[in-house]
Amino acid sequence: MRQSQSAVMERGVDLEGVHETEPFETAWAGEARWYVHFLRPAPGSEVEFRVQISPDGINWVDHEGIAPLTSEAVGLLSIPVARFGHWLRLRSEQRSGTEAPMLRIYLELKE
Amino acid sequence: MRTRPDHDGKESQVTTPDVASTAASLRDAIRSSDLRLSKYNPLPRILTFDDFNYGAHGWVELGGNYNGRGDLDSMDEHFRDFRPPQLSNQNFFDVGTHGGMTGTYSLKLATRKAPGHTATAIRRLTMSGRGLLQIEAYLAWKVEANLGGGEEANRYGDITWDANSHPSEAQFGAFTVATDLSHDGIRYHNVMRFQNSDWDGHIVQKWMYPTVAEPTPHERFRGEHDYGRYTDFTAPNPDDWRFVSDRRQEACYNEVPTKVNWHYLRFLIDTSTRSNVELQFNNDVYDLRDVAVPPYGEKYESLESLLNFYFSVRTLGPHRNFLFLDSVVISADW
Repeated sequence: MRQSQSAVMERGVDLEGVHETEPFETAWAGEARWYVHFLRPAPGSEVEFRVQISPDGINWVDHEGIAPLTSEAVGLLSIPVARFGHWLRLRSEQRSGTEAPMLRIYLELKE
Repeated sequence: MRTRPDHDGKESQVTTPDVASTAASLRDAIRSSDLRLSKYNPLPRILTFDDFNYGAHGWVELGGNYNGRGDLDSMDEHFRDFRPPQLSNQNFFDVGTHGGMTGTYSLKLATRKAPGHTATAIRRLTMSGRGLLQIEAYLAWKVEANLGGGEEANRYGDITWDANSHPSEAQFGAFTVATDLSHDGIRYHNVMRFQNSDWDGHIVQKWMYPTVAEPTPHERFRGEHDYGRYTDFTAPNPDDWRFVSDRRQEACYNEVPTKVNWHYLRFLIDTSTRSNVELQFNNDVYDLRDVAVPPYGEKYESLESLLNFYFSVRTLGPHRNFLFLDSVVISADW
């Protein structure tokens, strides 16, 4: 049976411009998936998500295999991730719109 | 010394205390030959043995209480962000993977870079007896390494870098081991905190305990308090904390934030008297029998025989503080 973990990275964060999740160690995991739930949607906005990786939890770079995902800041979305190495974080940026959405962000990990 | 009759009614030469003694000796011998358990000194019954090479073993982020709709606003603000624990291979910028005391992985509690923020992981059981209860762990505490900056990065609080002491040591606030117990209508917490530094980065390095019970969501529901996000949830008022001893607890931070030396911790309590008994930290042992455990004044429903342990880590500055647990053993004498 494979080890697994769901981590609630943000429980309800107001997206004010740019938000980056806290560094999370993922060396043990072989697959991952982000979920982003707009607890308070911001229709008419564009929010961009980038999956980022790191060699040390300090310096970060976009995952080369995952194109930035742009959402309309409503509902629930997910981003599958593979070959991510030892650290993961999710960068969120509001690209347009005036109302700040509130996000719940989950990271699912599995061996 | 009592004797007992054998199967045909004659008195046996084997006495009950002797049998108990033999059983204890056998248990010790078996445990001392177990490569993973021999570093521990558990009470007779091991309730849990958490080796974090094999998952988080039920250690989970402490969560607040929420209403029937799951509204975030119904949760105490200072209970909303205790952070998910991480299975860490201790990956550092300068040496790569440090690994655990045994194997590769340890459990890591990590704060945000926000003064006062606390990360907390809890283990939830119930008790099937009363008496001695003990938690043991091999642990280490570190601060996130800093890369870059000017000369100011070489100083923090009491410490200026001298190639022996490193300013990150003064950036670590505190870690805490504690219980949440309830039986026969009375709820209480046994709490021991290693206070490493103060808000200004002055070295403290002493064990502390609170003289009041932890504020609860039920009290907030009744309008008795409403604490902010970075409140010390264990006991918010600094005046409600006392030192176990005025003697400084020296330890092995080991100079820089990326060298990890594991420390032994053992916290013994007695649920039959709802009291503290003893704290061991490496080869220092503190007699805690005179350290009172403040109970709640009211009965809590839905918590009969509650047996929780938690570890927390609290930063007092804008630095991520980490508590690493190599492994944890909870044992009892019932």
